[in-house]
Amino acid sequence: MSKKAIIFVCFMLFGHAFFISGCAFDLAHVKYQPARIEAAKNDSAAFKLLADTPIQGAPCGYSRTLRKNTRWEPVGTLPEGIVYRSREQTLTIECSNVFEAYLVVDGIHLVGFYLPVEKGFSALKKTIQLPISD
Amino acid sequence: MRYIRVFAILLVSVSLIGCASGMKYGEFQTKITSSNPDTGRIFFYRPSALGAALRPDIVLNNEKVGEAISHGFFYVDRQPGEYQVVTSTEVERKLSFILDRGQTRYIRFSTSFGFFVGHVYGELVDPDVGMKEIQDCKYTGTF
Repeated sequence: MSKKAIIFVCFMLFGHAFFISGCAFDLAHVKYQPARIEAAKNDSAAFKLLADTPIQGAPCGYSRTLRKNTRWEPVGTLPEGIVYRSREQTLTIECSNVFEAYLVVDGIHLVGFYLPVEKGFSALKKTIQLPISD
Repeated sequence: MRYIRVFAILLVSVSLIGCASGMKYGEFQTKITSSNPDTGRIFFYRPSALGAALRPDIVLNNEKVGEAISHGFFYVDRQPGEYQVVTSTEVERKLSFILDRGQTRYIRFSTSFGFFVGHVYGELVDPDVGMKEIQDCKYTGTF
């Protein structure tokens, strides 16, 4: 390798390092707003998913599939809907960091996620109809 | 040819140097005591050898509980509540979750590529997945 080529490679490496040094690897954050969960109402019923349900449109292009036959139980309510969790499926949403998440359902539509540790609500860009039964 | 062989040996040595060397989960299982019903249990494991030289501390709610060692596992029992697991290499990665009374949670560590070094991060996995993947891991906790 010629001296010029070595200088060029070094220059490119330093240049790359210079530009990337201003970046953080954890730039991608899950966007959520503070949410106060209230006790589940009496008319909130558990449901079972009748089919595998892919989740799309979650933060950072995250995708997961809610599994068929998992049972989801109400744990509280938010203005956006009823909050459900399952003991049969672990659900997280993630960007650079990972958050355990519960479903927030309005009628039969999944509208977003409740983050129980952060006490926040993260909305889906597009709601998803859930194939459910009581 | 000789150089290739030496390089291959060095590569394998470097990749294995950070791996766990304790008792396998299957052998260790009989030593695992049942948890207090008032507490929950958290298993930490790292099933892959990728980035084995990286062994970041695992910090649970600001307390170091162990290291993320390739092919290693350990567990802790804790009171029910909110937990945050942090691992740091060139960046800090966090995982937050709820631990219920009598519940067992499995946290799998994986490695992703970084700029200078890889990033080791935790994921909360379903118990059936965790129990399956942990089988080949070796105990790295303290008796």
